[in-house]
Amino acid sequence: MRASRVRDGLVLLALAGYAAPFFWQAMTSLRPDTELLPLTHLWPTRLTLSHYDVVFRQSLMPRALVNSLGIALLSTLLAVGLGALAAYALARLPVRGRSLILLAMIAATAFPQIATVSPLYLLMRALGLRDTWLALILANGSFTLPLVTWLLAGFIREIPRALEEAAVVDGAGRLATLRWVVLPLAAPGIASAALLAFLFSWNEFLFAYSLTATEASRTVPVALALFPGVFEVPWGDIAAASLLASLPPILIVVGFQRYLVRGLLAGALRE
Amino acid sequence: MARRPARAVLLVPLLLLALTAGGCGERAGSGALVTLVFKHAKILGPADPLPGLLRRFEARHPGVRVQSEALTWSSDEQHQFYVINLEGGSPPFDVMMLDLIWVPEFARAGWILDLTPFVPAAERDAHFPTAIEPAVQGGRLWALPWFMNVGLLYYRRDLLAKYGFTPPETYEALAAQVRRIRAGEGDPRLDGYLWQGKQYEGGMVNVLEALWANGARLLDDVGRPFPERERARESLAFLRGLIESGVSPAWVTAADEELTRRPFGDGRAIFLRNWPYALDLFELPDSRVRGKVGVAPLPRLRHGPVGAASTGGAHLAVSARTRHRTLAVDLTCFLTSEAAQRAMTEGAALRPSRPSLYQDAALVARDPSLPALLGLMEKGRPRPITPYYLMLSTTLQPEFSAVLVGRKSPDQAIRDGTAQVEHLLRAITP
Amino acid sequence: MTDHRLAWILLAPALAVLGGLTVYPALWVLWLSFQYRVPVFSISRWAGLDHYAFLAVDTRFWNAAWVTGVFTGCSVALECGLGLAMALALRGQSRGRRVALALLLLAWALPSVVTAKMFEWLYHPAGGLVNFLVGGRTINWLGDPDLALPALIAADVWRATPFVTLLCFARLLTIPADLYEAAQVDGAAGLQAFARITWPLVRPILLVALLFRTLDALRAFDIMFVLTGGGPAGATETLTVYAYRALFQTLQMGFGSAIGVVVFAFVMVVAVAYLWVINRQDQTA
Repeated sequence: MRASRVRDGLVLLALAGYAAPFFWQAMTSLRPDTELLPLTHLWPTRLTLSHYDVVFRQSLMPRALVNSLGIALLSTLLAVGLGALAAYALARLPVRGRSLILLAMIAATAFPQIATVSPLYLLMRALGLRDTWLALILANGSFTLPLVTWLLAGFIREIPRALEEAAVVDGAGRLATLRWVVLPLAAPGIASAALLAFLFSWNEFLFAYSLTATEASRTVPVALALFPGVFEVPWGDIAAASLLASLPPILIVVGFQRYLVRGLLAGALRE
Repeated sequence: MARRPARAVLLVPLLLLALTAGGCGERAGSGALVTLVFKHAKILGPADPLPGLLRRFEARHPGVRVQSEALTWSSDEQHQFYVINLEGGSPPFDVMMLDLIWVPEFARAGWILDLTPFVPAAERDAHFPTAIEPAVQGGRLWALPWFMNVGLLYYRRDLLAKYGFTPPETYEALAAQVRRIRAGEGDPRLDGYLWQGKQYEGGMVNVLEALWANGARLLDDVGRPFPERERARESLAFLRGLIESGVSPAWVTAADEELTRRPFGDGRAIFLRNWPYALDLFELPDSRVRGKVGVAPLPRLRHGPVGAASTGGAHLAVSARTRHRTLAVDLTCFLTSEAAQRAMTEGAALRPSRPSLYQDAALVARDPSLPALLGLMEKGRPRPITPYYLMLSTTLQPEFSAVLVGRKSPDQAIRDGTAQVEHLLRAITP
Repeated sequence: MTDHRLAWILLAPALAVLGGLTVYPALWVLWLSFQYRVPVFSISRWAGLDHYAFLAVDTRFWNAAWVTGVFTGCSVALECGLGLAMALALRGQSRGRRVALALLLLAWALPSVVTAKMFEWLYHPAGGLVNFLVGGRTINWLGDPDLALPALIAADVWRATPFVTLLCFARLLTIPADLYEAAQVDGAAGLQAFARITWPLVRPILLVALLFRTLDALRAFDIMFVLTGGGPAGATETLTVYAYRALFQTLQMGFGSAIGVVVFAFVMVVAVAYLWVINRQDQTA
């Protein structure tokens, strides 16, 4: 038992080492500017919140955080909303060409973004949607929709048919069954799919970089990539900004780990 | 995208006003409450003069507020910002600072207002011709110069004097001086010649200067690449040779202006190619090279002239879609006026685009380098003035960068670069 | 209402969104790739196969294809090897499994722009932790054409290995302990047990991980774009970065689209090849 406890501790230590780049970034965000360049000693002599102060007062980050949160939530809602309906149809209803649709769904998840970004750009421009939330919500939502549909179809299939049939016997229609029986039972699965969709939207860079122009719709990754500085890159401020950008992923990894893992495994094991 | 016809009705009275005002388009405000948005890069230097200038403009135009917004720091990102905002949309700004190499592109795309009617000939002539030329496209004037840059050779006056050298006129002489001084000093931390070889627009500038120094051009008169191919090959081989022979350290291939400015400022290099802004930093009270730095024209290679240095700098232009056309033009004129450029020269590490200021007694008293810079500014050469310049540059940068780091031969890079440029030109010139 | 009808009503919104925002753009990109299209200068002309013909002889394209191949091959191989090793190490973990997974998945869940900025700082010649740890040298990791691609691969491996680890770990947990006990009775332990029991059972899932990682690596963009922008000297310019530069920096929508189509084709070829391998394996198993 002793040995296994030591072993457990060592593995955890090794994993903490694996996450070291992140902790280093966290420390950089608290390090005074004078101790950043050149790096002469590992531990800072004092800590400061000045980088966070700069990020909140002088950068576009606060606005970008609002944009990112709104866009990620709404595109998740779009993907999960449409995905749940489609998944129910694919899992439970007679659909001609079901396998074709499912195949198309897998193919769509393998789509390289770089191939669609130019027509999307022209499309959004033509619709006058460039630099709006809606453009990114549509782009991110449609990009995650195949994965979400696929995941949810799998989860819905796991729900015993008997429960649904019981509801139908009680006189509930298909839609009522979907609303009152299937969706509540699939809730953990929906949570998994929603987390993945949210993470994708939160992290997405290429669409956001190409379709946005101003702070009206600039998301966190874009704001971070374009972080302004004079002469020298403001590494401390960037570290602070990147920590803020990491908050939702951290929350998900720590707080909703079970759902995330379930979603990831189900997503990878589709066959 | 057809350009909108200028509104003659609006222009005539403006033109008259402009003429009576002496400078360009300055006039009193209308009194209506208006916010003008001005996009620009951050202004560096001891005291940012811009807020003061903008308040002065607001005082002259009651009811007008100028909101100044800073751009991101890299020039590539600024360009990206403008393209995305201006392309087919209504940009959220009225007046914008442009790198001078973008002016023809923005004019061709119809994004900026034709300033010709607002700027009298005398006002045009008050700027360096090398500053006005890049702003002229199709015979019209599209932007006004705000400040001006030119490539300079910085040298360590103390070291050259110690070995009895004068600033080199040829790169051969420069290399010889580097070898002699480094041998004499015996300091392994003393580098020879620093320049910018990173894959970015600044690297492009250094390559162009090497081409010009050997009498080669990037484009001929009808826009075909590398008309003097053999000379261009020599230029590229020469740059690579600087690194191979140790005259320049290998890290210049990843260096931008600041990365080269710092070691020179720490006294760890003999020569440096950089813009004039570095001069102010070298002369700061706590600088290690204070009083030891001289500036000279860039040397030449076998077939070219001395001092074939690239110009740089920023212009101000008015968005074609602005809703406050006259005010935006006024602001542009005001900020590029002699008074404003004087304030910029005093407060920021920038050099004016007006020759008159280089001999202004008050300014020269503050900055004795101005008269020397005058001749260098006049001799400066613009990068190819074409709407497609940036396309050409970003296409060729990886090729040149590959030569500098030794991954490609100059021949191969010129061949590959030519092929890509020709493919690009097929698209834009039917 | 019949179930058939209802099914289509439920499917319609999703299919409409997918059709409008994925399939339609996919066809459009193909169409664009046959044109000279520079919207900034209002250029729009038919180009036929010009772009593809040029790509065939374009050294920059072939360099980008090579870089993409090296990046994909190296990072996927490292991720799978390291991922399996980490899963094996994690298997015996009895306490702190949640913490362990959180530490692991953090790397995977961070935005790739954050990862890129983080590594840019780690690699900084004067202020980076990496140079500090190798004894205060000033190696220019991202500025040296020989080091930039390995540095980039390291960042991608850091980010993506946890995904492989998680898949392998989940599979390992399903292997019943008595299989190993039986093997031990037969005298097989350690490596032998791994070869006889673990490997055959983990291999299929590793193949799946390989598929996903390869597809992702082929499509990777954020990390190289933010970290090196494709430089120095094109040493890290992948096809996606080349496509982006053509599309949004030199503003050639037609030419850039042609590169995008090629990336799409590569991804599809790899996907089909893997599916074929996986299918065959299922049949022989």
